[in-house]
Amino acid sequence: MKTIKLKKESVQLVKEVLKDIKASPDLGIYKCVQCGMCTSVCPGAKETDYDPRDMIRRVLEDDETVVDDDNIWNCFSCYTCNSVCPCGNNASEINQILRQMSIDKGEGMKKIVSFAAYGDSFMELGVGSIPSNFFDVMVKDIGPGYMDLKINIEDIRTDLGLGSYILPEKAIDEVESILDNSGFKDRLEKIKRCK
Amino acid sequence: MNPDSSKDISNKDLKIGVFLCRCGGNISDTVDMEKLRSSVDAEVVEEFENLCSINGRKIIRDSIIQKNLDRVVVAACSPITHEKTFQKYINPLNPYLLEMANLREQCSWVNPDVETATEKAISLVNASIEKVKYAQPLDPILRKTTKSAAVIGGGISGISASLSLARQGIKTCLIEEQPTIGGAMVKVGKLFSPEKLAEECAMCLLNPLVNEAVEHKNIKIMTNTTLKAAERRSGNFHLLIESKPRKVIEEKCISCGKCAEVCPVEVKDSWNEDMTFRKAIYKPFAQAVPDVYTIDLENCKNCGKCQEVCRMNAIDLDMEGEVIPMTVGSVVIATGHKTFDMDKRPEYSYGRHDDIVTQMELARIMGVNGPTKGKLLKPSNNKIPERVVMVQCVGSRDEKPGGRKYCSKVCCMVAIKHANVIKQHYPDTDVIICYTDMRTPGMYEKYFKYAQSNGVRLIRGRPGEVAEKDGIFTVRLEDTLSKEPLEIEADLVVLSTAMEPSDGTINVSGLLDVGLTEELFVKEKHSKIKPVATEVDGVYVCGTAQGPKDITDSIVQANAAAAKISELINGGVELEPFVASIDQSKCTLCKKCIDICKYKAAYIQDGILTVDPISCTGCGACIWECENNAIEIMGQTDEQIIATIDGMLKDKKPDEKRIIAFLDSVGYVSADNIGINKITVPSSVRIIKIPSMNRIMPKHILHAFKMGADGIIMGEYPYNPMYSHTKEKIAGLKGELVKNNINPDRLAFYKVYIPYFRGLANKFKEFDGEIKCLDTP
Amino acid sequence: MKFIPDKDILLFKSCLVNVEYPGVESSTSYIFDRIDVEYYVDERQSCCTGLGHYYDLFDQISTTALAARNFHLAAETGHKNIAVMCATCYAILKKSAKILNQNEEARNKVNQILDDSNLEKREYTLDDMDPTLNIFHVAEIFYNKRDEISSLVKVDLSSLRVATHHACHYCKVHYNDTIEGVRDPNLIDKLAEAVGVETIGWYDHKTVTCGAGFRQRFTNKEASLAVTAEKLQALKDNKVDLLLHMCPNCQMQFDRYQPYIEEKLDTEFNIFHLNISQFIALALGADPYKILGIQTHTVPIEPLLKRLNYSLETNEKIDVEAKKSPN
Ligand code: SF4
Ligand code: SF4
Ligand code: SF4
Ligand code: SF4
Repeated sequence: MKTIKLKKESVQLVKEVLKDIKASPDLGIYKCVQCGMCTSVCPGAKETDYDPRDMIRRVLEDDETVVDDDNIWNCFSCYTCNSVCPCGNNASEINQILRQMSIDKGEGMKKIVSFAAYGDSFMELGVGSIPSNFFDVMVKDIGPGYMDLKINIEDIRTDLGLGSYILPEKAIDEVESILDNSGFKDRLEKIKRCK
Repeated sequence: MNPDSSKDISNKDLKIGVFLCRCGGNISDTVDMEKLRSSVDAEVVEEFENLCSINGRKIIRDSIIQKNLDRVVVAACSPITHEKTFQKYINPLNPYLLEMANLREQCSWVNPDVETATEKAISLVNASIEKVKYAQPLDPILRKTTKSAAVIGGGISGISASLSLARQGIKTCLIEEQPTIGGAMVKVGKLFSPEKLAEECAMCLLNPLVNEAVEHKNIKIMTNTTLKAAERRSGNFHLLIESKPRKVIEEKCISCGKCAEVCPVEVKDSWNEDMTFRKAIYKPFAQAVPDVYTIDLENCKNCGKCQEVCRMNAIDLDMEGEVIPMTVGSVVIATGHKTFDMDKRPEYSYGRHDDIVTQMELARIMGVNGPTKGKLLKPSNNKIPERVVMVQCVGSRDEKPGGRKYCSKVCCMVAIKHANVIKQHYPDTDVIICYTDMRTPGMYEKYFKYAQSNGVRLIRGRPGEVAEKDGIFTVRLEDTLSKEPLEIEADLVVLSTAMEPSDGTINVSGLLDVGLTEELFVKEKHSKIKPVATEVDGVYVCGTAQGPKDITDSIVQANAAAAKISELINGGVELEPFVASIDQSKCTLCKKCIDICKYKAAYIQDGILTVDPISCTGCGACIWECENNAIEIMGQTDEQIIATIDGMLKDKKPDEKRIIAFLDSVGYVSADNIGINKITVPSSVRIIKIPSMNRIMPKHILHAFKMGADGIIMGEYPYNPMYSHTKEKIAGLKGELVKNNINPDRLAFYKVYIPYFRGLANKFKEFDGEIKCLDTP
Repeated sequence: MKFIPDKDILLFKSCLVNVEYPGVESSTSYIFDRIDVEYYVDERQSCCTGLGHYYDLFDQISTTALAARNFHLAAETGHKNIAVMCATCYAILKKSAKILNQNEEARNKVNQILDDSNLEKREYTLDDMDPTLNIFHVAEIFYNKRDEISSLVKVDLSSLRVATHHACHYCKVHYNDTIEGVRDPNLIDKLAEAVGVETIGWYDHKTVTCGAGFRQRFTNKEASLAVTAEKLQALKDNKVDLLLHMCPNCQMQFDRYQPYIEEKLDTEFNIFHLNISQFIALALGADPYKILGIQTHTVPIEPLLKRLNYSLETNEKIDVEAKKSPN
């Protein structure tokens, strides 16, 4: 049986969540009434064992294992929960905060390592792109036309009267420098190492 | 500000009697009475053991008569305790020619040191002497309220209020917008009775009340009418009531219905929640009161067919509307509610399918006088539904745009009622209520248990969507208790929609100048102790116009409103005359005072700015607004305030510190409590009672500093309607100090509360310390 | 409703528009040019980080610092109003502007990063960017000028049965800023109406996500495509010919994966997908290949054009009544 020792264990997790830079100033997690409306519209809940309402409950009850729960990685970041929650709460935002906590702990890095190529592309070109490692399976799923598109994209853009989408050298330097100083570069390296 | 010289002379000539009370040692043990006596400059100075006794009265009265006294100062206990007593004792003088110096609660009991206590006593007595010189004879305000009332809204609340008023002999006019009275209650069909665990017929309960209202000689029912304009004049209301032409002469119509038979225009019948049709000439329902037909102006084509068949010649298509003026003593707002606009929550698919209905629509369907004569049939195909799913809190308890943050209070009970009725008559129909919390306080819990034992199923979760496919609905939610996303199939979905303030509530409140809550319900003066009074004196509220509530609570509130009106009429309350008075020669009718007054006491009548003495609290906020110095507060004139300050600082010694504390009545009582509890207070503190901090102006503060005050405290109770202005003003006052090279830290503002007198005592101590620090270089 | 500008606009480039549906950008320009919208495309503008952000790869500070740089570029060229073609850019930029305005600590941190990168001049000052009044979706700019758009319609598209998919990150993230409905979004329905097409309006799952779910499409493909399939089925039940989009990510999910889902489920949806910009441009008579860029689509648009009696060889519309306004 679980016992709650009032005052002895002050609830930390929810406070940490609210302190996070991603947390909106009016994030209403304390007001959650566990009505499940978020879950009722959640594609993640429909297709997987993820349950945003229960995730909120666990945060409110200071259940730190929620950070390690694989299910938090099933959120679609669609914010449908946010658009209906009658209590001003935002499960989507909380989910993203928990994922960052998991990444900070190290565990979560494994979950995102396959997306690292997006970061490389960003540093190189100043624009992101779907990580190249998914490319083969995409071509397989979508068809060879997708490969052609990738090969011909510059020509097509020219036909459409559009210029290059890659940033000029100097702009890329600015972006790279920002990402270096913001700590992103290190973060990316760390993530890549966790393979 | 200096009183002008002519007044100075007359003031000097006034004969003032000062009566010092020893209070059985309570005062004289600490205050050196000899010294006090010798420092008082007055025509008569008398000292007595207990002035409040009958013997004290004789001493005071004899002196007044023998010495021809003009004014009296009693230096004794707190005015809170005995001012009324001494006001009587100074008869034959006008009671308002008395001032009291509070030597007990605010001097001897808080100042154990004889020397400083005596000094303080001297300055308190001096202040009273100075102030009383400016006292004017006043008459208490006698409140007389006309013995009549208007009740706006003819639902159960309005009917109940009217009946209670009428039974107490008060002429009452019941104003209803619709062609019939009865409101929402006639539509709901059945009422739940937690005691009997049964449903009762709403119409059967309402009808006797309606009949009594119709028969009662003191009630005039005016249907098809609305309030158009309202003006308040010292306790009375002049109303303009507009009546829409019914186009049927009430006295002639025998309600045979021939006209409706021939009328070619069919429109949706709002009495049946638009689920059936009626004609353009109609009577909302069989038992409608008044029992006559009405032409719906919006839809009538003026074809005259009805006129042809009416054998009573009751139809007058040329009938014109009327505007009727009336004057009443009080008004009751009983304008009810409306139901939530489902366009705001499109995910529930209401309006897209006939078989998604509101609880009110279900009530009509199950009402014996409804579209299906009481049978539970689906609107789309007239079949009995096998699976009914109810969705709670639709639009209620919802912070999202368009939602209502509050709980609508009745919908849990309504859902249970309907579920019970369905289960009793259609045991094979499954009923599921999807809820977040079932709110069934008090006895209703028994009815809830009854529903559970009837087999009504409950699923805890707030549905996110209602979808339809091939005529079958899917309610999507999470069963939060089993942590399972669910889809429930249903063939009738019932939405428990929120109660919202009706348009009538918002309009009528606007016309009567009554404040609304954030949610646009009528705001009570105080939700706990004045639940039926509004911000406007003489206007009361009851029923759902004030917030969601059930029929029982509406009736209770209606009776309370009637009782309050009866108090006003029969009580003939006497009020203190400390209200604003206007110097008409200075007033330019700029209306600034009208805008600022939250008590809505000031208004312009016949081109003259008038203050309703019954509403005015004498708070003084208007004085700040008036650029023409046209306003004075009786009993708290500038002269009186200045004189009090002067008196308190008159004999200040060079090395002494004196702090003036302006406290409102709450703060003053709190300060008395400090004394009653014998808590020591710095000897520097001198208290002046002021109706509201809004009364204190820069000139008063600056004068006090000029006369030698070292610091000023202002204390006010934060839950008064004018408090919001107070805060701004303190900042303004501080700014004035800076301009005049006075350290703004010498002015402190505190919130005061009666029970937190210890806190106030601490503030006094802290402030006294701070002032001392400021003065030590 | 909020004020929507028609000048000083930075047309914000999107990574997915760039390489997946570049026709969305050329169509947007095509429309802007015709309805007198003054705008600018800045080659220096970086991507918003959107995909990376929702892959949880980017941290909020890095995303916000890059946003601050882009905000500065916008102001620098006098194009302070940002109009995006992608809903993710929309949500990301608004979130960043909110953080920069509301969170002093984060703002200082971002400015420190800019300083350290020798970009002092790009420092962010409080309220430089108003998340509500400076950041828009191009659909909102169209909406504001829908009467002008109506007057320019050349091609009658009213024979199509059209439904709309409103991007989640437009509707549901900063819902107080959303126009024409959150719980029943109708912004692009209204735009379709402006070019003479009555949409089907509400349908089951109208507000449901496209299913991409950022990481889900790659790490949870079955769940991701199940969501998409359910929506496609609802559209098929409603006999929809064409689904309109306002975000390249949603468009990808439907257009790229519809054939795949059809094969997996052994069914046919036969639904065309166009972005609202492409759709309006089509109505205004734009060239399918040179402006709409339908050659980058996976579900071919040619059959749709054929149904509209469009001659693909000459790129000329035959037998299509011009619906020009009198002036
Ligand atoms: S987050 Fe909102 S919608 Fe979800 S359970 Fe809590 S209150 Fe309900
Ligand atoms: S944002 Fe995540 S939690 Fe919220 S509804 Fe979408 S998938 Fe569910
Ligand atoms: S108006 Fe005439 S016809 Fe109509 S109900 Fe009255 S009496 Fe009958
Ligand atoms: S009474 Fe019940 S259904 Fe109605 S708002 Fe309150 S909790 Fe919800």
